[in-house]
Amino acid sequence: MADYNKPIPIPDPMTNGPYWEGAKQGKFMLPRCTSCNKVHFYPRIICPNCGSRSLEWIEATGEGYLHTFAVQHRAMGAWAEEAPFVTAYIDLKEGDRVFTVLRGVDPTKPEEIFKKIGALCRVEWDEANDAVSMPYWRLVG
Amino acid sequence: MANNPSKAAAIIAAGEADQIGYLETPKTDMMLGVEAIYNACREAGISTKDIEGIANPGGANAYAEYLGIVPKWVDTTAVGGCSFQIHLAHMLAGINAGMFDIGVIVNGQAGYSRRNFPRGGAGGGGGDPLGPDAQFVNPYGTTGAPSQYSHAMTRHMHEYGTTKEDFAEIAVNTRQWAMLNPRAVMHSKETNPNGGPITVDDVLNSRLISWPLNLLDVCLVTDHGGAVVVASAAAAKSFRKPPVWVAGAGEAIGHQTMLEMKDFTATSAVASSQRAYKMAGMGPEDMEMAMIYDSFTLTVGITIEMLGLTRRGEFPSLVKNGNTAPGGKFPMNTNGGGLSFNHSGMYGMQLLVESYRQLSGTAEDGIHGIAGKQTNANTCIVNGTGGTLSATGTVVLTRD
Repeated sequence: MADYNKPIPIPDPMTNGPYWEGAKQGKFMLPRCTSCNKVHFYPRIICPNCGSRSLEWIEATGEGYLHTFAVQHRAMGAWAEEAPFVTAYIDLKEGDRVFTVLRGVDPTKPEEIFKKIGALCRVEWDEANDAVSMPYWRLVG
Repeated sequence: MANNPSKAAAIIAAGEADQIGYLETPKTDMMLGVEAIYNACREAGISTKDIEGIANPGGANAYAEYLGIVPKWVDTTAVGGCSFQIHLAHMLAGINAGMFDIGVIVNGQAGYSRRNFPRGGAGGGGGDPLGPDAQFVNPYGTTGAPSQYSHAMTRHMHEYGTTKEDFAEIAVNTRQWAMLNPRAVMHSKETNPNGGPITVDDVLNSRLISWPLNLLDVCLVTDHGGAVVVASAAAAKSFRKPPVWVAGAGEAIGHQTMLEMKDFTATSAVASSQRAYKMAGMGPEDMEMAMIYDSFTLTVGITIEMLGLTRRGEFPSLVKNGNTAPGGKFPMNTNGGGLSFNHSGMYGMQLLVESYRQLSGTAEDGIHGIAGKQTNANTCIVNGTGGTLSATGTVVLTRD
């Protein structure tokens, strides 16, 4: 973990505690509404789909599909050394969407990645510090 | 609608800061804005002390104190670059309600000079460290609007088969308008080493910023001050310049972070424009020109479709063959746009200044020697987009 040099978020324990606790154990946790049964992301204290405050946390599959992507040629700080790199939005199997840096793709060949929109992706974890493991998604389909 | 405020107010003058562009001597936001207010009031033939209502994203109180006025009406709506279209909608309602007669919408923004300002605090991306962007987006290395908007462009290309070339046409047409505007940063090689004509290939061969966005798909970062004066219909008739009527106005918010953008090929402009059209009693077929916030070529492509100027996925049919360039069938972004004229950060102010000038017949009006860009449009649809494709404000302007 000592060599993780990218920005590390300060976990919000008020809303996102179970998310970051799960991450440390390699579990992708999502809030789900017990009224409408839909998951949502980013986590909230009220369901954005139906307005209920009756929420629970579930362990998700950690699988989803590539929705869209971009290749970043300009970046700040430690990310500048990585450029070009691929960022992406992933449609989760359970519903809703996350943002990530996508692995398993060649940033110099965006036309090839373009053909993979809709393909299966899977989460993996980088231990950033004692409190935070960062999710990254890898194209596997 | 009951008590329809359509044409209850008109824009009667517009002004800009004394100097705009890349300023050699830095100016503050306030300096640029106050210069613009002063110049707009002078064009209207009124004193800044006559201002009864003031609108600015966040800073209306500072402007009022600076000008020594006690306004009857303020609007500090700050929803990004479209704030000014929404200010105009609110002014229309306020004037229609009899709350005041003369108001000013202003923005001064030292997008370029800012680099000279002293900095405080810890620096970095700013914002709430516990907010969704800080928790789940910013750690992945995206920097600023282009690094996020690019994802929407990829999705549009995927869903509709549009191409980087289609988007590049927008930049090419817009540059041609800039070449008619001596105040445009990219007017010519004299105004900027990268100014003058560009081709689709130039756009595609420019440096990659965030694929699929190249440098020439991306707006400028410059200095600008702009203001417009708005008056009641009764007051507008006594001013010396022809009024430009606010026939319709609408506002809408889709999301804040792009994490929450459900459909990457659609913005809230579909809602804000429908509200504006309904108030005006007009539709997209009645629009003779458009001023569309061009933070990126992508923004224009999507917005054309949201405003109903083409069907979804078909924006290339409007911009191809120079249709939106000078001499084309449908003038668009006639000042040269945020892409080639000027973009200080919240470009919606520039949209209002130019659309007023076009419909009042003052687009060539002399103080800055601008010639050749006056169109004969009688109607204009103006759409601002703020945040990360988040909020939109649409106004329909007409002339007698």
